[in-house]
Amino acid sequence: MLKAKKGFVYLLFAILVVTQLYPLFWLLMYSLKTNEEILSGSFFSLPTIPQWHNYSEAYTSGSYLKYLGNSVLVTGVTLVAVIILSAMTAYAISRFKWKYGPYVLLLFLLGMMIPMQATLLPLMIIFKNLDLLDTRWSIIIPYTAFALPIAVFILSGFMRSIPTDIEESAFMDGASVYRIFRSIILPISMPPVMTVCILTFINIWNEYIVAATFISSENLKTLPFGVYTFVSQYSVNYGNIGAFLIMGALPVIIIYFLLSERITKGMVAGAVKG
Amino acid sequence: MNVLKVPARTIAIFVLPCLLLYIGTVFVPILVSFYTATLDWNGIGDAKFVGLANFHTLLFEDNNFWPSVKRTLMYSVFSMIEIPFCLLFAILLNRYVRKGSRLVTIYFVPVILSNVILGQLWKTIYNPTSMGGMLNGILIQLGLENWTHSWLTEPATAMYALYFVSLWQYFGYHLLIQFTGVQNIPDEIYEAAKIDGADGFKADRYITFPMIVPIFKISIVLAFIGSLQAFELVMVMTGGGPAHATDTIATHMYNMSFLSQKYGYGSAVATFLVVFCLIVTVVINFIFNKVERKVT
Repeated sequence: MLKAKKGFVYLLFAILVVTQLYPLFWLLMYSLKTNEEILSGSFFSLPTIPQWHNYSEAYTSGSYLKYLGNSVLVTGVTLVAVIILSAMTAYAISRFKWKYGPYVLLLFLLGMMIPMQATLLPLMIIFKNLDLLDTRWSIIIPYTAFALPIAVFILSGFMRSIPTDIEESAFMDGASVYRIFRSIILPISMPPVMTVCILTFINIWNEYIVAATFISSENLKTLPFGVYTFVSQYSVNYGNIGAFLIMGALPVIIIYFLLSERITKGMVAGAVKG
Repeated sequence: MNVLKVPARTIAIFVLPCLLLYIGTVFVPILVSFYTATLDWNGIGDAKFVGLANFHTLLFEDNNFWPSVKRTLMYSVFSMIEIPFCLLFAILLNRYVRKGSRLVTIYFVPVILSNVILGQLWKTIYNPTSMGGMLNGILIQLGLENWTHSWLTEPATAMYALYFVSLWQYFGYHLLIQFTGVQNIPDEIYEAAKIDGADGFKADRYITFPMIVPIFKISIVLAFIGSLQAFELVMVMTGGGPAHATDTIATHMYNMSFLSQKYGYGSAVATFLVVFCLIVTVVINFIFNKVERKVT
């Protein structure tokens, strides 16, 4: 009885592995097929001869490295900005004695409920007037701003739990508040900072609409936007498209492969605290 | 020292950069959009003040608006359907499978991929038979040729095709959240219950379910709010088409603003979206606070 039950449960989870991963595997096969093989429409077949040239063609006809570089740059700057800004504010909220601390936190909580899409049009008007449209800033600024609430929330929650003794003695020894923040609080806060990094990274790295709305130069496109452009431009050669999609997914898959436990933990922490 | 007494200047240095950027990028645009919602404006020429006319058109004359609200709500309902299943799977996984977290890590893969990539992937899966779509290929192999559709270009099927992709994509996310919740229930409670004669389903009924309610709520809220803002996937896969059959509030707003260049009208839709999200969030929290008090 128990064995049958266990067998059933195992079967169930095996099926789920297939449903969750097979589409991705199918895409991988797709990217290695010729147009004829793809159009024949068999859902379960390996390519007769793997068409590796799909990848070299996709690589040379798209600007993969440029898109990748832009994504790395934009994500990197955003992460640094989010961490610095949110950590400073979180510290001020959790430690400084001032009337408005709770209100600031409340303001950030309120912002979590605001859908980002609703700001696209007004932001475009504002950026146009500031001459920021079609620059990297036009995406870094909204990416940073919309990552701040959850970051401030997670970090201030953590900082409140740090015992004050260390700061007290540092204060007695004459350390300034900036020094305490930099050399004591920030290093202690590394675990939640990592969580914030992971959440922000996954969101920003994959973001498409903001980039597609504010950016128009080929030179500034991020990876998801670049993938989208490639797909809509080269719609005849299916294998190339498949190859470019795989290449687009590759960076985040590699990172996930290396850090899967951290990433899943970080995402849960973000979900539970948000 | 409970709190640091520091001069106002120090507080400003710590808080202002962050706060200004935040207010300037989140709240100021919302206010701007409240204002532009009262204009008849295409973004280039002169803007004409029309008062609440845009809202009047939106609520009473726009044939595409209420269906898009309905689809948005349906999207939320569909996204929530899988959560009880995720909880069930999480319980089974925790009880019968060693190293269950490894499996969850595998199910989680679609969550970390970009909507652009997933959208394109599913577009090729939904393709008509003539373009080698996988879903139609499976149906033909099963001898169900009558069931084949060009899923995304037929208004009757397009929206369901989108709901399904979201279900698929977020399955791992909700499973992970529920699984973490189930794992965090201390074993001692179950052991104590076993001594008292409660195990298996009985233990779930009296231990797992009540203790998981807060986590369950998180999943529901995430699914609900996530799909209220359901946007990127729809934009990538159908753009709201065919013939508005997959328009949600957000895509309606986007298409009005950026394709039809009706800035004033688009802002009115955006304003509606903001208010709608706030109301729904408050209502959901209210309901759950009641449920939570009843169950625990």
